[in-house]
Amino acid sequence: MTGRARLTFAKASALAVGLALFAVGCASNAPQDTLKPAGPQAKQIDTLAMPVFYIAIFVGIAVMVMTVLVARKFRKRKDDTGDEFPAQVHGNFKAEIAWTIAPAVLLACVAVPTVFTVFDLAKKPAADALTVEVYGQQWWWEYRYNFDVDGDGKVDQIITANDLVVPTNRPIALRIMSRDVIHSWWAPALNGKKDAVPGRVHPLTIEAPEAKEYIGQCTEFCGLSHAEMRIKVVGMEPADFQAWAEKQIVPFQAPTGESAVAGWSTFASQCTSCHRITGMTDPSDPDSGKLFEYPPVVNQVSGEVPNLTKLMTRTTFAGAKFDLRLDTPECKALGENWASEPEGIKTCFNREQFEAWLRNAPAEKAMHPGEAPSPESRGMNNFNLTEDQIDDLVAFFITLQ
Amino acid sequence: MTAIDGPLALGAGDEVKTRPGGVFARPSSSTTGWRSWVTTVDHKKIGIMYGAAALFFFLIGGIEALLIRLQLATPNGKLLSADLYNQVYTMHGTTMIFLVVMPIGAAFMNYLMPLQIGARDVAFPRMNALSFWVFLFGGVVLNSSWLLGGGADGGWFNYAPNNGVIFSPSHGIDFWNMGLLLTGISSLVGAVNLITTVLNMRAPGMTLMKMPVFTWMSLVTQFLLLFAIPVLTAAQFLLMFDRLFGAQFFNVEQGADPLLWEHLFWIFGHPEVYIMILPAFGVISEIIPVFARKPIFGYPFMVFSGIAIGFMGWGVWAHHMFASGVGPISVAAFSVSTMFIAVPTGVKILNWLATMWGGKLTFSAPMMYSIGLVTMFTIGGLSGVTHAVAPADTQQTDTYYIVAHFHYVLFGGALFGFVGGWYFWWPKVFGYALGERTGKINFWILLIGFNLTFGPMHILGLQGMPRRTYTYRDGYGFNLWNFVSTVGAFTIAVSFLIFFWNIYASYRKAKKAAGGKGKKLTMPADPWDARSLEWMIPSPTPVHNFDVTPTVQSLDEFWHRKYGEDEAGRLVRIAATEDVVQKGDATDVHLPSPSYYPIVLAFGLPWITWGLIYNLWFCAFGAVFVLAGIYGWIMEPSTDPSDGHSHEDDHDDDPSGDEASAADDADEPSGDAAPTEEAALVD
Repeated sequence: MTGRARLTFAKASALAVGLALFAVGCASNAPQDTLKPAGPQAKQIDTLAMPVFYIAIFVGIAVMVMTVLVARKFRKRKDDTGDEFPAQVHGNFKAEIAWTIAPAVLLACVAVPTVFTVFDLAKKPAADALTVEVYGQQWWWEYRYNFDVDGDGKVDQIITANDLVVPTNRPIALRIMSRDVIHSWWAPALNGKKDAVPGRVHPLTIEAPEAKEYIGQCTEFCGLSHAEMRIKVVGMEPADFQAWAEKQIVPFQAPTGESAVAGWSTFASQCTSCHRITGMTDPSDPDSGKLFEYPPVVNQVSGEVPNLTKLMTRTTFAGAKFDLRLDTPECKALGENWASEPEGIKTCFNREQFEAWLRNAPAEKAMHPGEAPSPESRGMNNFNLTEDQIDDLVAFFITLQ
Repeated sequence: MTAIDGPLALGAGDEVKTRPGGVFARPSSSTTGWRSWVTTVDHKKIGIMYGAAALFFFLIGGIEALLIRLQLATPNGKLLSADLYNQVYTMHGTTMIFLVVMPIGAAFMNYLMPLQIGARDVAFPRMNALSFWVFLFGGVVLNSSWLLGGGADGGWFNYAPNNGVIFSPSHGIDFWNMGLLLTGISSLVGAVNLITTVLNMRAPGMTLMKMPVFTWMSLVTQFLLLFAIPVLTAAQFLLMFDRLFGAQFFNVEQGADPLLWEHLFWIFGHPEVYIMILPAFGVISEIIPVFARKPIFGYPFMVFSGIAIGFMGWGVWAHHMFASGVGPISVAAFSVSTMFIAVPTGVKILNWLATMWGGKLTFSAPMMYSIGLVTMFTIGGLSGVTHAVAPADTQQTDTYYIVAHFHYVLFGGALFGFVGGWYFWWPKVFGYALGERTGKINFWILLIGFNLTFGPMHILGLQGMPRRTYTYRDGYGFNLWNFVSTVGAFTIAVSFLIFFWNIYASYRKAKKAAGGKGKKLTMPADPWDARSLEWMIPSPTPVHNFDVTPTVQSLDEFWHRKYGEDEAGRLVRIAATEDVVQKGDATDVHLPSPSYYPIVLAFGLPWITWGLIYNLWFCAFGAVFVLAGIYGWIMEPSTDPSDGHSHEDDHDDDPSGDEASAADDADEPSGDAAPTEEAALVD
């Protein structure tokens, strides 16, 4: 093949590949696909971005085609008998001004809707928005709700982790914060990302259009397990959300069953230097109903670890690295109440992985807990639990519904 | 030197014994071998050393890239742990930016700028050598981390507070900090040097608007370095004091705002990317006209768009921070400013195409790489325009879409341009040409491998794959394109193996043709029928550059000495190339003398950095070399003993000799040249 033909072929095939890539790019199973916006904010971004993509693709193709055409047309031919030199053109002031001004005008046209969208997306959410505090820390997300769930006039607090449960078709006003380093909260189907910066509060509004799961992950490098700080937004119909919230504030119920009771004691002795279960009574004095007194959390740089209240109403654990509820279609169909279904724990509980986590957490997820818990710990330690202790703990956790 | 009277006069009959400098004597300029490289102050040797060092670091950064791609070829990769991956990707980015792309730019700028302006060397030759050695030692310090507990692991932009000791307790980030403080010194010293050179040492008649485009782009780059590096240095000092001496600049509990680091870093970081690309823009602005057989289209627009990019580059930094919580007013302002910086860049692309339009194009290896830059940079630039739309960027930032963008502009842009520059100037520098056919094969494999590696990353990013993640899950749609990307990365590796083989094989071939071992390699001065002054002297470049400093009358001065225009405005030859090209045989040219002290001074600096990290006694050790270096630098005589041009030699009290030509190098003492040579110094 001659050099010219090769050049053309290569450019054309690069182009074709590029287009094919882009077309195929809309894969079917891509839960974090930014090109399939679901929520209204993500859709607004998409409405702005898509024309710009098309303009960019058009300009790109135009430049490629022009390059190929110029390369073909003006190639020095072997049989060239004309002048050795082409016309020694030094420039063309008018043309250069034109191709300075034209792109500037085009960009100005893009700038106007861009600025409008920036301010529109940043506006304060509607009055009926549900506010949720989002805390990022190495390497998991905490969510706190403060609203009157049961209508008794008092604000209730729900502290949960990993799964962000929200009512559908209602603006959710996220207040994004960090307890240690910079993280970034991102659920692509719902909105662009927003950084979680320690010492600051960053607002972000999302809205789940349907009762389904919207997946995301941390998108600002935050250390070892940055890749495993997953986000799951769970949309629920308003009635279901209300039921979920009411369930979250049901007071702690002491477990029955020998293993679960033993696990409760193990939890209190091994885990409560960091973990919390809201309203947990003291296993050493179960009948009195005395609340367990938690020691302050000193052995964690961020000062908090996941709150385990109603753990079994979640679908993930360990910073959402692992599924708590197996990720099969049948289990997903059980929703957030999977554990209270008769077959739920039996068929959908990711018992093996959960036990592995209790057995040796640092081996399951890259963390920095140190040899033993200390104020420099970041993540969960290996507590060298016995298999019996693990079985008991699992039995106890299963009761947290 | 006039005779001294009075008490200091020598007694009659006493001879002046010349031993310039005594213990501080400079190395002889006739040294050969490795010693001549270690003590050189010759901008050409320094340029070659920058290039060689950059290629070495390119291998390291390339291996780091291949490790990344191997880890990410499949979901749940097990090759690298999270910790090791974080080190590898951080070091890959840091190495490629600071130890590869910037030094390759420095290689070209150091070698070519003095030649293109008709000078014999730069304004401060010893500082030039210092820049190189400090850079090299900075690269050594950064990479010493691998042997001393692990590489830096906070990402190349190393945000606070993750970059602090609480969250990054290992020394990796300290090495990042120290290594880059040293390379920063190198760049800053170099900027002062090259700016002074261009502003003061141009050949007679070379006004600024008669300088080649490459020199202009390099000048803008130096100004960017001059103002950007100190900002990074300031941020790094704050970090150093936090990490090593208990300061609280980035401690949130003490009231710090982590965004301070982001702002400081990106005020440096954005001009930094123009620092990386502008020299490559300059390179192809030299190549394309030569192989199109017509001048660069719109020289004034090319110059002013470069200046505009340099200037506007200061006003866009927070486009790296659209998701960082700076608030809608900042976001909107930076979104708009970022869109407009696309305008001067677009002008360049169109001007290059217009240069090719109506030309008689030869697709030599340098030309193909240059066209590669034009097309690949366009793709990268267009994805950049999509980032400028801030709301869209909140979906794109920190994903592989961004990784795709910057690799298209840095690799497809800067590196393609630089490889083209190597093919173009190799004959001038080394006296032999790289094989053309191999060069073209090299190009195609690189083009294919490059697009296979980074093209799919656009898709991965838009499908939501974040960057800086050591692994990804199955079932997210990331599998296929990650695998393709890995295949592409190894294709790139193959293309560079071909490049290195080309260097070796072409050298062997040329040596054989010259008559074997010991024979010097030479080539025609002007193998490409080129346009600028460096082609007017022999290949390889004589050590003294120009026999006589040319007087410049136009842009593309060399071209216009070969070709004039007839009445119809067509180009006609007015002189044979051999008659225009200088012979390179001037023997009595005074050049800046070699010196030990740049490397002596530079040698102390890494010890100071290791000392700051480990034990202050190392600082004392390093300080000895730094102080010795400075002292020796001040005290050494201005010339070396074998130079023959020292103040004490064959003096001529001719006062007119004091008015040496402004184009001569700064070190030349007055009045040592015979009058006839004075006249011949300017042509």
